Amino acid sequence: MPNLESLLDIGLNHYLIVSAALFCIGMAGVLVRRNVLVILMCIELMLNAVNLSFVAFSHYSENINGQVMVFFVMTIAAAEAGVGLALAVTIFKKFKEVNIRFFEQLKG
Amino acid sequence: MSVKLLFSLLFIFPLLGFLFNGVRFKSKNYKLAGGLATAAVFASFMVAVTLVVKLIGMEEGSRQITAHLFSWIHIGDFVANASFLLDPISAVMILIITGVGTLIHLFSIGYMSHDERPSKYFAYLNLFLFNMMLLVLGDNLLILFVGWEGVGLCSYLLIGFWFSDSEKAAAGMKAFITNRIGDAAFLIGLFIIFFQFGSIEFLTINSLLPTTAEVGWFGPMTLACLFLFIGATGKSAQIPLYVWLPDAMAGPTPVSALIHAATMVTAGVYLIVRLSGLYLLAPNVMMLIAIIGGLTAFFAATIAITQNDIKKILAYSTVSQLGYMFLAVGVGAFVPALFHLMTHAFFKALMFLGSGSVIHAMHEEQDIRKMGGLKKYMPITHFTFLLGWLAIIGVPPLAGFFSKDEILWYTYASPQGSKILWILGVVTAAMTAFYMTRLMALTFWGKSRVAKDVHPHESPVSMLIPLVVLGVLSVIGGWIGIPHVISAVLPGHIPNVLEHWLEPVVKNINLGEISVAAEWGGMLLSITAVAFSATLAYLFYGSSKSEMPNKISTALGPIYKLISGKYFIDELYFGKIINPLIDMSKGLWLYIDVNFIDKITYLAADFAAGCGRGVRDLQNGNIQRYAMYMSIGLIIVLSIILLGS
Amino acid sequence: MDLSVILFYGLSLIVLFFALSVVVSDNPVYSALYLAITMVSLSFVYFLLQAYFIAGVQLIVYAGAVMVLFVMVLMMFDLKKEKDSFSKGRISNLLKVSSVGLLLGLIAGAVRMSTDLMSLSGMSHGKEGLGNTTKDLAILLYTDYVFAFELLGVLLLLIAVGAVAVSRIKGGTHA
Repeated sequence: MPNLESLLDIGLNHYLIVSAALFCIGMAGVLVRRNVLVILMCIELMLNAVNLSFVAFSHYSENINGQVMVFFVMTIAAAEAGVGLALAVTIFKKFKEVNIRFFEQLKG
Repeated sequence: MSVKLLFSLLFIFPLLGFLFNGVRFKSKNYKLAGGLATAAVFASFMVAVTLVVKLIGMEEGSRQITAHLFSWIHIGDFVANASFLLDPISAVMILIITGVGTLIHLFSIGYMSHDERPSKYFAYLNLFLFNMMLLVLGDNLLILFVGWEGVGLCSYLLIGFWFSDSEKAAAGMKAFITNRIGDAAFLIGLFIIFFQFGSIEFLTINSLLPTTAEVGWFGPMTLACLFLFIGATGKSAQIPLYVWLPDAMAGPTPVSALIHAATMVTAGVYLIVRLSGLYLLAPNVMMLIAIIGGLTAFFAATIAITQNDIKKILAYSTVSQLGYMFLAVGVGAFVPALFHLMTHAFFKALMFLGSGSVIHAMHEEQDIRKMGGLKKYMPITHFTFLLGWLAIIGVPPLAGFFSKDEILWYTYASPQGSKILWILGVVTAAMTAFYMTRLMALTFWGKSRVAKDVHPHESPVSMLIPLVVLGVLSVIGGWIGIPHVISAVLPGHIPNVLEHWLEPVVKNINLGEISVAAEWGGMLLSITAVAFSATLAYLFYGSSKSEMPNKISTALGPIYKLISGKYFIDELYFGKIINPLIDMSKGLWLYIDVNFIDKITYLAADFAAGCGRGVRDLQNGNIQRYAMYMSIGLIIVLSIILLGS
Repeated sequence: MDLSVILFYGLSLIVLFFALSVVVSDNPVYSALYLAITMVSLSFVYFLLQAYFIAGVQLIVYAGAVMVLFVMVLMMFDLKKEKDSFSKGRISNLLKVSSVGLLLGLIAGAVRMSTDLMSLSGMSHGKEGLGNTTKDLAILLYTDYVFAFELLGVLLLLIAVGAVAVSRIKGGTHA
């Protein structure tokens, strides 16, 4: 068991644990939710978890390159959200359906 | 021009003809197709003449032109080059092939004028000539074998040319399959020769030949000769593989003339003459060849007497004459064999083309009982056919007399020969005279038995030219190989040109002490026999219809039935070999294959399908499921890393 | 116990709580709201880590632009509270959640075990920090990473066009 002192001395590990927890929550959402929009949100959560770990690493290793990476990830995340939502809108307009299982029917 | 170029040209012309006609095979323009094909073969003939003139210009004893086109197969010690050899033997062959080939192509133009697919026909014919030249010009056994198979293929295609008739298609298949048996033996012989000599080139083999003959049956030389001879029996229609040739008459008649009389079927004789040095070292095989040849000649002649189909008679006659050639090589008379090959090519091609002319005139009627009296409708065909008839029955001084007499004389006098075979030969000669006279009498002479609605007419000029040329050749062709005894008494002492020409490469077996009187006696005897049986046949079947043939056939009863049924060889083969094989194959199929082999393959298939069914749910298109697999994979990898460290 | 410790724990709890709320909420609109709260609190965490520029961008891009996008789409769909917000299959859901939990445990374990490794590689403990990083970040972005930066610009343009093109597709089997 970690003692009290290590709990109070906030370090890289604490941030990483938070990041891991956030990532796993997002992943659980992706796995269990049916609604495409919510799944997209959960993916954003996972991306944020990764960002958090990047920033934490950057902070504790005093290396600013990590933050550049976060910047890129954010841009890509925004782009991904844009495309994902556009697709969701198209499919919804056509089939009035947001269930991820329904998307299986789109194959072929 | 360089030799290489000439050789290439020799092959390229028929190949181009084949490609041209083969590409536009649907065209019905028989004049264009036939004209081009004939021109291609004629061009080849001219090139062949050029080459032979070159050969003649060379010093005697070293007449040999080789051309190495490219290296074909080179594996370890095994070398097979695409190279060609022109020596006196192949010179004779190539002139026959391209010369007679040109004439038959010319004849075909008229013959195939009413056909549906003349372009296809001429394409096959040109391809055949290409392969035949490969066969005779190849300087090693493998090139020869390529040509050997190639002519077999063309023979199959042309026999089954009218394939919509299932009987004709079956005849093509019969020819092909029967030849396959011989070809398998040929290949075995080829392998033995390669193992024995380490080479398959004729010149190398000849230079490596041992000096003493082999005794017994199981020496390598004897076995090689034996297997190659079996291959030759397939291609050259000898006992026991002759059954395909009579059926091969299902093809167009010019094809029968070119392939199944003049050229392809003589390939076996050519092969043995080519390897005569080797065969002289295997006296046992020589003896076997002589016996087989003699028997084939005899039995085919007996069958020919009883047949009524004009082409069947000629077919059995061809088998019989081929038997003579094998008898000749069997007794060591290689030059007479080649001589007879040449004269036979002339007169048998002539007779086949003549029969083609008759069949053409009679609107595809082939039964000689429904002919008769055609002499007055087709004078030129009749006259040329007459020449062929005189030549084949051996009337001096036409071509057939000299070659046949040489063979009989060697059979009598050679140390390899025997008196029994000689008697067989003479009897066969008499029978040949009989059935050929019968054919003449029933077809051209006597009263017309032609059906009322058929109006026979003389064939067009393009079909008559080949007949006339071949007729002339049948008359004078024999003068290049006049036996010594005859030339000794003739004014001017015409030498035996052919023997002299072939001397550097092929030598006849040494006859030892010869008796001039015996040779003259034999000659006289055979002439007498021929004259007697020809007269008999004329009396039987000539102008007034005699009752004698019917009486004789009734008197002979079962024997006549046996012979006219072609000794029931086909039935025997079907009953004892083919049907049991089919039954066995059916058994294998129904029991072994279905119950055993199929089950195994099904088992394998079921196993694969079961595996697929097992993992099919992994690929169900559910994205969330895929994501879960990813996370599980991640867990596994992380566990391994963590537990491992 | 200084302020940063309290802030860290407080913010972490808020982030994780609302992230969990995003996942478990029945109503997608609420999910979006919780997500926005998560984003904002994360930007505070970035402040705590002295990444001021990133924190700002987080606020503007995520809590601003992306969330607006989500909410707009939600409005368009007019989604009410869902009856079956979770995938069917109790066992498979249990399996999924437990596998994620296991993953979390493993990552935590990995982090703990590699503590020594990371301190060995010459990392400070962030006591002094990087100071004002925005200017450095900008310099880095426009020098070393300028090519990637420009590529991102092109990508965003592509995405803008592509998103419009995709959402304009009418019904029917063909575009």
